[in-house]
Amino acid sequence: MGSPTEKKLEEIVAKVLLVDKANINDKMSRKDMEEWDSMAHLMLVSEIESAFGIVMSDDDIMEIETLSDLKKILKKLGVAI
Amino acid sequence: MIQKQSWYPQMSSDASKERTGESVSSQLKEILDLIQKEPTHLNYWNAYKRIQRLNLKALDVPDEKKIKVALLSSFTIDPLGIYIDIKNRLVGLYPEIYIGPFNQYRQEILDKGSKLYAFKPDVVILAVQAESLLGEDFYSEFMKSSGREQYQTEIIDQFEKILSLLTSRTNALILVNNFIVPSFTPLGILDNKVDMGLKSFFYGLNQRLTDLYRESNQVYVVDLEGVASKHGKSRCLNFQMYYRGSFVFSESFLPVIADEYMGYIKALKNLSRKCIVLDLDNVLWGGIIGEDGFDGIKLGKDSPGNAYLDFQRLLLSYYNRGIILAINSRNNYEDAIKVIRDHPYMVLREKHFAATRINWQDKVQNMIELAKEINIGLDSMAFVDDNPREREQIKQALPQVLVVDMPASPFLYRQALEDLNDFNVLALTEEDKMRGEMYYARRMRKHLEESMVSVEDFLRSLEMTVVIKHADEFSLPRVTSLVNKTNQFNLTTRRYTDVEIRKMKENRDEFNIYSLQVIDKFGDEGIVGVAIVMKEPQTWILDSFLMSCRVIGRKVETAFLAKIVEDARKSGVSTIVGEYIPTQKNAPVKNFYSNHGFEEFQQKGDLSKWRLDLTLSTVKMPEWLEVKDG
Repeated sequence: MGSPTEKKLEEIVAKVLLVDKANINDKMSRKDMEEWDSMAHLMLVSEIESAFGIVMSDDDIMEIETLSDLKKILKKLGVAI
Repeated sequence: MIQKQSWYPQMSSDASKERTGESVSSQLKEILDLIQKEPTHLNYWNAYKRIQRLNLKALDVPDEKKIKVALLSSFTIDPLGIYIDIKNRLVGLYPEIYIGPFNQYRQEILDKGSKLYAFKPDVVILAVQAESLLGEDFYSEFMKSSGREQYQTEIIDQFEKILSLLTSRTNALILVNNFIVPSFTPLGILDNKVDMGLKSFFYGLNQRLTDLYRESNQVYVVDLEGVASKHGKSRCLNFQMYYRGSFVFSESFLPVIADEYMGYIKALKNLSRKCIVLDLDNVLWGGIIGEDGFDGIKLGKDSPGNAYLDFQRLLLSYYNRGIILAINSRNNYEDAIKVIRDHPYMVLREKHFAATRINWQDKVQNMIELAKEINIGLDSMAFVDDNPREREQIKQALPQVLVVDMPASPFLYRQALEDLNDFNVLALTEEDKMRGEMYYARRMRKHLEESMVSVEDFLRSLEMTVVIKHADEFSLPRVTSLVNKTNQFNLTTRRYTDVEIRKMKENRDEFNIYSLQVIDKFGDEGIVGVAIVMKEPQTWILDSFLMSCRVIGRKVETAFLAKIVEDARKSGVSTIVGEYIPTQKNAPVKNFYSNHGFEEFQQKGDLSKWRLDLTLSTVKMPEWLEVKDG
């Protein structure tokens, strides 16, 4: 279990993609998950942006394929994760 | 490709189906409770997705609780679908939502075979962004453009064309947004100094759209401009989501605009409230009359008395529109009624209240009694009380009642009540506007009844007149509303939309639609009964026969039936057939046909058919009534 930031991220991922928090892992990917469609992807991005007060670039958004990609981008934008 | 598996194991017997239904229903409730506690955007999304995974088909839903809503738009409207779905469920409806393909509203409407029509919507929401009609260069070239009024006309014409096609192909209620007037104009402070500025262009467009559908019973123009202004136009759009995915409504605006649509949907599904039940102390005036006394309570021109005064004015405006007011207060009757009668600043007086309970009884008991006396369901009532404990008690004991979350400060009372969208009707009738007076007359009538010895004496003393007419343009809104609202005195409880009734009315060869109006010495009750007769060469069939419960017990139903029988006889018909379908609520009419000499000749499922042979018998007109046929 991690920091409050990580917990917040976990909550968003769990709620947007309808997964149990226990089943969340860095390898989760868009191509393997039916729920992670383009609408859910935008939802994920927008919720994360407003939760952490950041704005991701469109290139970043396109590149995110897995949860670990997402975390990398958050780190890049200065979110302590 | 992974196939979606049903969440539940296959079951075959009815019992297990019922169990599945119960389990789905409790899971649904759990999800909805959660969203009510924490209505964030994320939770709405999550709740919607989880609900879609439930085996909703296992639920046994009565038809009147089902609703199909189609969303057509020039932008990404999926998120609105989520809010409309959940908000329908929160008021006890079971929605199905259809979302038209992105920016294809025209094709969907034009193509007879589109999914829109196959969906058979009850409500169509048409949300078109101005930009999609005006063209990409509209704003940038606005200064150079000429013939702006002509351009408005073209846009209105476009709208009218597709909407008239839509109305000819569906009976659904159509909700069309007006346009948000942009906050920015290149003309800046001079926008209203030129012939037609950018803002004037949009104001004009909205006005013309409103005018176009003022008389329509099917198309309603939703004031998106007004709703957006109230929310704050700068907060209505989330630019990131707009440019990335053509989302036009921001997360914070979605629940607001969804609520606006719900105002129409609640009115359509008869979920609107008809009566506001009011506490007195710290609601209609500041302070406690029993402690502060007549001169000590706060009501008048100074703060905070002026806030209570304003709140009463709002209530009076609702009263004048047909909302019933009642009192449920813990007080000494004499103390409280003296304020209502004599206080110089009281706006609401005794005559404005359809019924009062000012006593030391339990408020729950009072509510039940008020509902009974006014003769409306608890599910038509809203309750206003400053005391959170009283509110909680009503909420728990009578969950059907809408308990208004009153703010602590009286300065915010008015706004709290104004923010509710639970008092809407789709059409306003003359009866609505007179309703308050009618209830007062009824209270007086009751006093008289108590002083009379026999029922006949009482009925005679009322000096009643009934007016029985064919439904006309004037009475149609009221007729439709009665057909859709009446539960108790209703032989078949068949519901028809305004459009359906209109079509029957125009088809005079096959249908007669009668309206019944009752007047007595205390006042005009307005139209209180409807009969729909299907005419066959030798037989008239009473498809619908219904009456508002407020005139039950005055034998006017007999007069109504007698008049129809008389008309049938005049047209050479030999048989009248009455149809009866029992429901949980219409027990009062169980013996209606047998009491009037009809004989049962057929029973098919719930429907029983009763016959009166006009060559052998008739229905006698009660002698204490005067009948007019308009």
